[in-house]
Amino acid sequence: MNIGRRSFLSFVIGGAAGTAITPLPWKLIDDSSIWSQNWPWTPVPPDGEYSQVNSVCTLCPGGCGITLRKVDDRVVKIEGMKGHPINDGGLCLMGLSGLQLLYGPTRVKTPLKRVGKRGEGKWEKISWDEAISEVTKKLADIRSNGESHAVGSIVDSESGTVPNLFKRFLTAYGSPNFMTMPSIQDTYGMTLQLMQGVSAQAGFDAENADFILSFGSGIIDGWGSPVRMFKANSAWKANGKKVVQIEPRLSNTAAKSDKWIPIKPGTEAVLALGLANVIITNSLDSKKISRSTGFESFKKLVQNEYSIDKVSKITGINSATIVSLAKNFARASKPLAICGKGQGSIPGSLNEFMAVHALNALVGNINKEGGVWAVTETDYIKWPKLEMDSVAENGMQKERIDGAGSEYPHANSLLNRLAEVINSGDGSLEVIFVSGANPLYSMPDSKAMKTAFDSIPFVVSFSSYMDETADNADLILPNHVYLERYEDVPTLAGLSKPIVGLTRPVVKPQFDTKHVGDVVMLIAKALGGGMADAFPWESYEACLKETLGVKWDVLVEKGFEFNGDKCILEGDFNFYPEAMKSLSNFTPVSAEGSAISYPLILIPYDTIRLANGYIGDPPFAIKAVEDTVLKGKNSCVEINPKTGKELGLTEGRYASLLTPRGKAKVKVHLYEGIMPGIIALPRGLGHTAYDKYLAGKGCNFNELIGPAEDPVSGLDAAWGIRARLTKV
Amino acid sequence: MSTQDDKAKEVSADGAAGPIILFFILGLAATLVFGWVIFPKLLYSQKKQPIDFNHILHVEAVEEGCESCHFFREDGSFSGIPKLAQCVECHEDAQGEDPNEVKFVEEYVANGREVPWLVYARQPDCVFFSHAAHVKKAEMDCGTCHGHIGESEHSRVYEENRITGYSRDIWGKNISGLRKHTWERMKMDDCAECHATKEIKTDVETLPWPINWLPRPYEKQTGNQARVKTVKEACFVCHK
Amino acid sequence: MKEEGKHKKAKKYGMVINLDECTGCGACMVACMAENNVPFKEDESNKLDSIAWMRVYKLTNGKSYPEADICYLPRPCMHCEGEHGHSPCVSVCPATATDYNHETGIVSQIYTRCFGCRYCMAACPYHARYFNWWDPVWPEGSTKYLSPNVSPRMRGVVEKCSFCFHRYQLAMDKAFLEGRTVLEEDEYQTSCTQACPAGAITFGDLNNPEHKVHQLAKPDNKHGGRPGNPNVFRLLERLGTNPKVYYMSSREWVRQAGDNYLDNEDFAKNYRH
Repeated sequence: MNIGRRSFLSFVIGGAAGTAITPLPWKLIDDSSIWSQNWPWTPVPPDGEYSQVNSVCTLCPGGCGITLRKVDDRVVKIEGMKGHPINDGGLCLMGLSGLQLLYGPTRVKTPLKRVGKRGEGKWEKISWDEAISEVTKKLADIRSNGESHAVGSIVDSESGTVPNLFKRFLTAYGSPNFMTMPSIQDTYGMTLQLMQGVSAQAGFDAENADFILSFGSGIIDGWGSPVRMFKANSAWKANGKKVVQIEPRLSNTAAKSDKWIPIKPGTEAVLALGLANVIITNSLDSKKISRSTGFESFKKLVQNEYSIDKVSKITGINSATIVSLAKNFARASKPLAICGKGQGSIPGSLNEFMAVHALNALVGNINKEGGVWAVTETDYIKWPKLEMDSVAENGMQKERIDGAGSEYPHANSLLNRLAEVINSGDGSLEVIFVSGANPLYSMPDSKAMKTAFDSIPFVVSFSSYMDETADNADLILPNHVYLERYEDVPTLAGLSKPIVGLTRPVVKPQFDTKHVGDVVMLIAKALGGGMADAFPWESYEACLKETLGVKWDVLVEKGFEFNGDKCILEGDFNFYPEAMKSLSNFTPVSAEGSAISYPLILIPYDTIRLANGYIGDPPFAIKAVEDTVLKGKNSCVEINPKTGKELGLTEGRYASLLTPRGKAKVKVHLYEGIMPGIIALPRGLGHTAYDKYLAGKGCNFNELIGPAEDPVSGLDAAWGIRARLTKV
Repeated sequence: MSTQDDKAKEVSADGAAGPIILFFILGLAATLVFGWVIFPKLLYSQKKQPIDFNHILHVEAVEEGCESCHFFREDGSFSGIPKLAQCVECHEDAQGEDPNEVKFVEEYVANGREVPWLVYARQPDCVFFSHAAHVKKAEMDCGTCHGHIGESEHSRVYEENRITGYSRDIWGKNISGLRKHTWERMKMDDCAECHATKEIKTDVETLPWPINWLPRPYEKQTGNQARVKTVKEACFVCHK
Repeated sequence: MKEEGKHKKAKKYGMVINLDECTGCGACMVACMAENNVPFKEDESNKLDSIAWMRVYKLTNGKSYPEADICYLPRPCMHCEGEHGHSPCVSVCPATATDYNHETGIVSQIYTRCFGCRYCMAACPYHARYFNWWDPVWPEGSTKYLSPNVSPRMRGVVEKCSFCFHRYQLAMDKAFLEGRTVLEEDEYQTSCTQACPAGAITFGDLNNPEHKVHQLAKPDNKHGGRPGNPNVFRLLERLGTNPKVYYMSSREWVRQAGDNYLDNEDFAKNYRH
């Protein structure tokens, strides 16, 4: 048989006809469309049993309650905890993106030992035993050489069991160099000490105030306990309460206030004293204050030195505005003046705080409803007395490296001075521990801080994330993140009623990490002797349970506990001589740099969408940053169109920004909401560490500014720096 | 030239018609066999359940029928295939000597490992299905969609579509896509058929579709076989 | 049960956002991203391709220092009803990948049905729709926080705010189990509403006079849902899209920014129609 072309065609046609009446083509079309709609590389989140767990957010000092939604053993969402006294269901965008910190790419997954040069990013994974013996060996050597005071630590705050474990560790070891990250509460604490004679922090009964006078505080930009302030702000709006915002830039807070009064930056204290003058001169002050110690000299001071005309000239606010502001403030039934710029990460000028506190006292709202309260946290940490051996005794008698307690008698910690002290050769450290802080990024003049760290032979980071400080450390002993560990979270942050919260392990530790509390104890135990005896607990959890005592059960069940009214300290307001001396000698802290080489003034601004402390912005948060703040790899500098025109700068242009401390390439954003001659940059950008979603974006404001030591407190009071902006 | 053509015509007319038809039939037969017999075998891979499960035995032993193990949680979600924790309530130790029981206790219970059951009714991720709406509100029987699985003594072979990765139960055992019973197929049209033929009593008064004269694309394709009531029910009811 | 519900009016879920209270903090944006498995990429500063179902816009009053003023405006999908469900996007979709649900008033988006023609994006006057130009990539380990309630999208499809419809479904499941068919106001709330630290967002059934959204917006259903509250406005009201997101502001320039007006137009007069 001859199989020709036709036969073949016929076969094919038969085949085609046959195929058409089989399921094959139809089924393949269906299946391939199903396949193409469900690509195998598109993740399918597994379903399971839903549950909810309550805990506390620790990403900022705000102390919000959180509810975690879980599907089986995964956490899929963080929400604000309903009924929590601070946030009652609401939550800020950092808190909401917390899962990206838990499961995200910035985690340090095991203990790491540096193998390359510092900051080179070359690490060797080591075991916990190796890591702890490494630290122990170093510490034992230093101690036996009688150099115990050359060991220091930097932690996020002074309160809570973990910072206190560090403090106890250093004390037992023999070093006074327990340092904390600065904040406005340092200055407020000192103000209350000097003017009320109490050792307390400032709490604000903001919800009950009816006239809020804010000297640059970012009420809705992350000041205090952020969500609580948001809620207070909404309540003010609903009830017709007045907010006046004084700052040179139209911040979100200024835009939401009832009146925005632009002021020449750095002259806030002068305005406060001028307002005091108007209040006293018009006899609008409370009767009680006029009977207080030193009132007459204060009266004389403000009347002689702070005449309305002079104040108007210094602050750039016209006299009529000053007078009417003072009158409205004093006549309100529950006025409240607050200060501490932006989110309050820079302690600020002590005199400014005292002047503002004096305003509160003049209108009689100290420890009153809607006023400023002197509050303390409940002292639940009652550990057995520490037995110090001779090395410890010796070491503790040495002066602190940062000069707190000696050069500056009122200060507890002056981390802002550390870089200068080390870099000028006035002091040195052998070992530094860093926990819950990222000083190489978040301290002003962060480059100088890095230089100082470079000269410390052994840097140990306890960070859960690969932040700038961890990146430049010799050893990283990663802590669990807050969703993996138990820890007490005492919250003051300007609350009128302090609260203690408890974080709890919502999920099992995702990586080979250890609780920092456990690590501190393990090191102490490995050092032996008195060091081991100082920590009689089996584990951190045991320590925490014992410390909290009856509170433990309440905290586990409810997640938080109020300390109630027991925390308010009575202490009459007085213009004590020391306070008056300081106020009389007051000259405003000026911006660094000469006006000729640097014609502009650069100020920072805070936005709630950018974290600028220990935590870096998680991907969701950085995604929410506006394109007028960050564009591509550049920060945008805000500049008044008038100033822009003078400099020939137009919207979106690149410019070179130069300050006495550093320089950066920025993008120009013309903004009508900023005072001519002033330019502003956001804080929280310019990270070099973390992940690709954050690193290399924008410039770090802290590289452009240096600390300015307050003459009385020694704390950093820098509010800006002189700058030059040129086209590139 | 012309003579050659004529010759060729002659040849084909006389001697080649038979082979041509034969080849046509051959082609037809080959593809029919391939399409109906071989293709389904190639398309699906056969997988065995990790443990041969006896539903009859379990249904007899429990009190509340299907819902004893496949229950609703308080939040309205459906538990689906039980988790190990639930099995352990009864099976902490091996009950009886069945090799499957021994395997289950030794491999999974003892190690705290979840059994990787193969789910016959697993739908793509884009499908939202509410058991509560069907079982509780519409008071439907489990068997309507899941068939007589509760009366099985052994676990069936799980046939996985090599292209889509889903079970053969979705398309139906019958490769032609025809079915006799409601539970034999779980495609969108099967859901839609019920939603269209059964009078779905909605609690709402719906507004008329403004362009009624214009058939929607999907309706057009499926003709009168099944209608996805996009107007009344909306896509989001079954998709996520 | 069926009897009582038979003549019930259809629900019309909507939102009132108080712009006086909104602080522009961005919590709504992130709450939405976290709830709805919204992907992210290395650079998100090009807002044209940065997927944000909820986006907070910054408005300025156009005046010079020191009279300058700003206001933030969160923009979810407006879930336009148009006339009888004739939303701008729904009417142009050739794939029936998006439709208007008369039972809830929610405009759906079915990713697997969408083939990426982007007609809907061109039709939407609010820029509420986003296209997946790339396949989403989650960093290693990060898929662990993905929610099973919303399916992750793939390259080549459009996505947008769903008013967290899955929350409605979950709430309905619970209701069915308890033998109910009607939800309480607080049982179904969107993720952004719940998260807003300022409490500026109110969500509920615009057709239900007992719901707060109805009381705030006072929608006039005879005239396309136009707000009855003088401080309340909708975006591009005059386009007739009949959106279900209402904004509230005590500042006139903000209300005026909600639509386009000619230079010689009297805002006060036209605003009320």
